[in-house]
Amino acid sequence: MPPISTATRIIYWNIPGHGWMYAALVPVLALFFWGIWARVRRWFLGRGAPGEGAPRRHLRDALRLGLMQRLTLADRGPGLMHLAIYSGFITLFLGTVVVFINQDLSVKIMYGWFYLIFQSLILDIAGIVCLGGVVAALYRRLRVRPDRLKSGGFSDLALLWWLAAILVTGYLIEGMRILATNDPWGPWSPVGYAVARLGADLGLRPAAALIVHRVTWWFHMAIAFGFIAAIPYSKLFHMFAGPANIYWHTERPGGALPAADLEAEHLGTPDLAAFTWKALLDLDSCTECGRCQDACPAYAVGQPLSPKLVVLDLQGALDAEAPALPGFMQGMRLSPSARRADGHDGEVATEPLIGGTIREETLWSCTTCRACMEACPVLIEHIPLIVDMRRNLAMERGDMPEGMAAATMSIEERGHPWRGTTSSRTDWFADLGSAGPSRAEAGSTGVRVLGPGDEADVLFWVGCTGALDPRNQKVVKALARLMARAGLDFGVLGADEACTGDPARRMGNEYQFTMQAEQNVVTLGQRKFRRVVTACPHCMNTLKNEYRDFGGQYEVMHHSQLLAELLEEGKLPRTAAVQAAMGMEGAVSPRPSDFKVTFHDPCYLGRHNGVYEPPRAVVAAAGHSQVEMARSRNKSFCCGAGGGRVFQDERGSARINHARGRQARETGAACVATACPFCMIMMEDGAKAAAGDGAPQAVRDIAELLAEAVFGAEEA
Amino acid sequence: MHSVVCVKQVLDQDIPPRAFRVDRAARRPDVAGAPLVMSIFDGNALETALKLREAEGGGTVTALSIGPKGAEEVLRKALAVTADQAVLVAEGELDALDAAARAALIAAAVRKLSPAVDVVLCGRQAGDWESGQVGSMVAEALEWPCVTLVSHITPAAGGKVRLRREVEDGYEIVEAATPVVATVTNGEGNVLRLAKVRDVMMAHRKPITTHTAADLGVSGGAGGAALVDLFIPEKSSKCEFVDGKTAAEKATSLVRKLRELKVL
Repeated sequence: MPPISTATRIIYWNIPGHGWMYAALVPVLALFFWGIWARVRRWFLGRGAPGEGAPRRHLRDALRLGLMQRLTLADRGPGLMHLAIYSGFITLFLGTVVVFINQDLSVKIMYGWFYLIFQSLILDIAGIVCLGGVVAALYRRLRVRPDRLKSGGFSDLALLWWLAAILVTGYLIEGMRILATNDPWGPWSPVGYAVARLGADLGLRPAAALIVHRVTWWFHMAIAFGFIAAIPYSKLFHMFAGPANIYWHTERPGGALPAADLEAEHLGTPDLAAFTWKALLDLDSCTECGRCQDACPAYAVGQPLSPKLVVLDLQGALDAEAPALPGFMQGMRLSPSARRADGHDGEVATEPLIGGTIREETLWSCTTCRACMEACPVLIEHIPLIVDMRRNLAMERGDMPEGMAAATMSIEERGHPWRGTTSSRTDWFADLGSAGPSRAEAGSTGVRVLGPGDEADVLFWVGCTGALDPRNQKVVKALARLMARAGLDFGVLGADEACTGDPARRMGNEYQFTMQAEQNVVTLGQRKFRRVVTACPHCMNTLKNEYRDFGGQYEVMHHSQLLAELLEEGKLPRTAAVQAAMGMEGAVSPRPSDFKVTFHDPCYLGRHNGVYEPPRAVVAAAGHSQVEMARSRNKSFCCGAGGGRVFQDERGSARINHARGRQARETGAACVATACPFCMIMMEDGAKAAAGDGAPQAVRDIAELLAEAVFGAEEA
Repeated sequence: MHSVVCVKQVLDQDIPPRAFRVDRAARRPDVAGAPLVMSIFDGNALETALKLREAEGGGTVTALSIGPKGAEEVLRKALAVTADQAVLVAEGELDALDAAARAALIAAAVRKLSPAVDVVLCGRQAGDWESGQVGSMVAEALEWPCVTLVSHITPAAGGKVRLRREVEDGYEIVEAATPVVATVTNGEGNVLRLAKVRDVMMAHRKPITTHTAADLGVSGGAGGAALVDLFIPEKSSKCEFVDGKTAAEKATSLVRKLRELKVL
């Protein structure tokens, strides 16, 4: 055996005329860079300057989510599959770089241990890992065929077979070289060595191996070059656009939406040029993995919305408007998005964006629940895309579904969306008594209405639904009793409270949202308070994250956070503590001991604002054991009410709340707990629907459960 | 064609019943702070006029209101859904006028408008007092024909209009020569549209022509009918439990009670 230090292989061995390879590289790289430029160039169609708006620390996100694949791996199976292809591909690319350094830069590094361990062993393993990933991807597409991958079709398969062919021919070349040269270092390349042994066993003579090697080498080179050239013209482009999209992702507090320019030529986005450049980058970075579609509650129940197809259809429109390929090569694009995802091969360029490329029903089906954005491995921002198109419908065309239009009118005329309510904003606390204008004394159950100039520690923002919907009135009442019991100095705005504008903004009426926000900021500015507490996650999100743009900076808490804090501080008793304090051994809990609760995470509390634990802590303090639904916390399945959907009568069987009702029922819990007035409305209906002829699960707000434990136990 | 739509600002019909109070001495509702809105059938009338203008491919829609300065709000709303002009007949004490007096004001304002008015549309009745008389009285005052309970109007040959009348279990199509007065009810296609935001912004900048009764040469007050009393009737109900140990005893005692009350 020769000394280790001499271990290497001869580059371009057996390949006379390999200089032609360099000649071939010129058009390949030209195509590659032209394609990248063509795609980057079309981001300039959008508003704002491409590249603006990324803080330095986004580099860390790009590394963590891109290079380290953190979000991709969140979906275990497909994540590992992608990691295999990705890591194998990158390692093999590094191997090519080593060859380039060694051969073309004449820095002789491909020798000795480095050659044996990296350039032989590791690259051989990387190839197998990559091939394993490719086979898994092919298996998913040909055998498992999950719904979310259905748009991929032929182009996905072509790319995978292509990659497989590159890997297999690579091993064949290696094997033939080992066979023909009787390479003493052959075993360091286990797969190539196995190929060589197999060739020998099949009686392949070295002379024949030479020919196979040469032919395969040129073929391998041709398809590898082709693959490189195809990157910017296929979904493979995500390897650049994905990390770029992560790097330039927009940073907004919680679930805040980007503001709309009401002075712009168009309101919302009637065409692609009205989108921001970042939105167009969103479209180009889609990997077509379909996780958003899997997560989407509207899609799950058969409503006409798939977040993935929204992105791909818009991408198709972008392709039609600004083709990535030069004219003579049209039709060669590998991505399926050039054709309509619904199977139509129509003239994409001539149809309008809204109502043509994207159907209006699609836009109105979105609950803005953020499940898609949470699932997207490259941080595509679906909600702003959809809301921007809604803005055009709502503000420029005055075109909205009936129920949403009625809510909009009601907000305009009455300051709340619940036309036909039989209550005024102060009715819910009528039987709690009202307190005088002075500070409420600890223990008083009265609710104080704060007028201009008044002061309180806590401003209780009741919200329209809490104040006006009979079912939710019980919730805000329970919360008021608990706050009074904890001795909090709190007050409400009473008749001066008006809709925060959350539904208006999410239904696309930015103008109305602006009106509501400006009015409320003035109202709030006339009172003094330390913090705002609300039982509505939508109000919380708007007050906390969106009013700052209107000069309203408040410390805003959701009631789950406040109650958890009061429990923590001992200002509210835990059930067990209440019982012990009263010397009641094995005291009667207000509920049977097998009373299990399943908590439904409201989207605007959880995903949009990251509050997952406090509501669960409150349920636990109320003395109940909990069971989780299959989809909970950041994977929670929307109740169907967000984005103004609560005002739209659901028709037919495609009801999100019924699906969620079934999911809640499957846990076997006796009670569904929630912490949002919209969720309350939807889940009560969902629980009834899921129960069929049986008894429906109880649906309670966490404040009701705690009040029941605290006051029920005391009264007993 | 020039259409005039009479729009009235009324107390929101959707305020919660418990919040509704009446000032008996002043003979009017006492609900300070309650929203004031465009009367619902007037919204239908406005939409009907806008649709007529669209069907014709041109023309003018004028919104007309009688009321205090604050009634400009409903006129702005009419402008926001693209009414071409707005006229306010300033009248602080609207409730003091009876239907005939209001109709006289409307008729005088209509005569003053140019170009000459072809169609006057009123809601079938206002959302507050619901007397349902003003439309026909306007026709009377102008000496024009009147078509009631209309939901849709299209232009017809010879300067006429075709009106769709909603009747029980169906509809009638009526052709009328202009000028004509129509009272409008709610139908399938005449729910007032949503205003576009640009138009809302524009509406704030459009002028509103204001007249007084004196301008119009109508002597104020007057009216044959006057409101004498206004109150919310008190409803009372009594609940009595029927005695008895068994169902049979309860039934016997119930029958006895019902007989006493002469129900049976």
